[in-house]
Amino acid sequence: MVERLLDRQVSLLEYLTSSGAIYGASGAAVADQAPPGFDPGMLRLEACFSHEKRMDKIQSVFPQTFRLLGDARAGIVRDFAATFPPVDISRLANARQFHEFLRARWQESLPEPPHLRDVAACEFAFAMARAPSPVDEELPPAGRPARGAIRRHPGIILLSCEYDVRPVFEAQGQDQSQDQSRDPARAALSIRRETLLAIFLPPGEQHPQTFEILPVVFDLLAVLEDWTVPSEFVLGPESDELIRELADSALIEVRL
Amino acid sequence: MIDITNLNPGPAVGIGYRAAIGEWTLKNLQHFDVLEITVDHCLSSGQFTASAIYDLVGRIPMTAHGIGLSIGTDVPLDLAYLDKVATIVERLQAPAYSEHLAFTRAPGRDLANLLPVPKTEAVAESIIAKVRTVQSRISVPFLLENITYLFEWPDSEMSDAAFLNLICGETGAGLLLDIENLYVNAQNHRFDPCKFLDALPAGLVKEVHLAGGVTVSQNYLDRPVLADSHSHPVPDGALDLLDNTLARQTPDAIVLERDDRLHAGDEILDDLKRIRNRIAGQHIGNAHGRTAVGSAS
Repeated sequence: MVERLLDRQVSLLEYLTSSGAIYGASGAAVADQAPPGFDPGMLRLEACFSHEKRMDKIQSVFPQTFRLLGDARAGIVRDFAATFPPVDISRLANARQFHEFLRARWQESLPEPPHLRDVAACEFAFAMARAPSPVDEELPPAGRPARGAIRRHPGIILLSCEYDVRPVFEAQGQDQSQDQSRDPARAALSIRRETLLAIFLPPGEQHPQTFEILPVVFDLLAVLEDWTVPSEFVLGPESDELIRELADSALIEVRL
Repeated sequence: MIDITNLNPGPAVGIGYRAAIGEWTLKNLQHFDVLEITVDHCLSSGQFTASAIYDLVGRIPMTAHGIGLSIGTDVPLDLAYLDKVATIVERLQAPAYSEHLAFTRAPGRDLANLLPVPKTEAVAESIIAKVRTVQSRISVPFLLENITYLFEWPDSEMSDAAFLNLICGETGAGLLLDIENLYVNAQNHRFDPCKFLDALPAGLVKEVHLAGGVTVSQNYLDRPVLADSHSHPVPDGALDLLDNTLARQTPDAIVLERDDRLHAGDEILDDLKRIRNRIAGQHIGNAHGRTAVGSAS
């Protein structure tokens, strides 16, 4: 019976995204696993090109993370390739997979340097902030939020960090040899401090902005994922003032 | 819609727009007759990139190109994606929309790299039906692009040209001829690229891609291979194939593709000059009533 083209395409892609094809565990083993009838050398080259292209996309999202990974980078990328095959063409989807992989890995053992977890989280947040904002679905009148309802601006990403890693990104444009964060221990000691961040892309801007926010603001923004009527909160005059300020700075939207 | 054919005699010459050199592109707009926009960049590269592209509407003609259709995957087309593309094509006022004759994904995997399909009549039939679907949902002419491929399917039974001719002939789709891909395939798979060009009916080629790549050597390969990396100046061999193409085809646009070493703006402008010189040489040749470069025998 002739195998369906789709099944053969799936098998071919599974092979091309496998560690064996990308890294070539051993010449004979790879040739054994390659789909029959194809040139195994050319398949391996295709697998390598595709993997490099994918990792270029991911590295463009995590430049500081990759730099700080240092000598561990090659092993981490190899483990990532083995556990997270590509399932989407987009830069963001591949970055999400890599971030998920790092988070799982760092739950098992802390990264070195320890502030790397926050650096990676910030870089992924930058990428999410740059992505197109989700478009609101047209709701029937009964489902529409009431006038005066508020919600966190959908493009804002909130991050609770163990370290203040903003200096890592501020140093990005400086001479690398002057970059204090190249000395991981020193950088980690100098920036260890719980830091609550709001990251968003202002309209018309190319680069996301990062703001440290107070715990009360962080908590308020965290619960405002969906449209909420302010009176549903137990709010005092200070909160009204806070909501006004947040609306003025475009951190929240107010339904008119 | 801006008619790119009315601006200059001969094909419009330009580059594929890349957000990473968006500012440089704007500063050098006078060097381009046309920009090729990758519709997928409007979809997924964020608001800044999409706005920068749409701001160019009316300033320079743009043609639309796609990388996300995967027309060769043996599943029905993603109609929601196609409808988004249709909206973008209209917004760009593009005279044509092109995609690769390739597959990039299958359920559960997305290589994001263009792979060949088996060149058989059965596969051609399936793609013909999909091309018709594309044509029914996109308001401008649809062009298929020949890809570069490192490997062949063992059951392929047709030549590249015969496969393309069959699909384009049945559907009326035009060809976006990627000359660099042809040049690379001919070198890697040892065939005569001029025979490929000679097999294309006159008038089939509506747009042309040019680019420059690198040579790759690996211990697991029995010989060095060319890679279509879009990173270096267009090789003279590819420009010779452009001469050959222009002798029989009248493309509306010639687009230089560059995706790496984007800082080398001078190389990009120099490549455009070399392309324009080849076009000018062709016109002089035709004006003197002689046949321009023919195929190697």
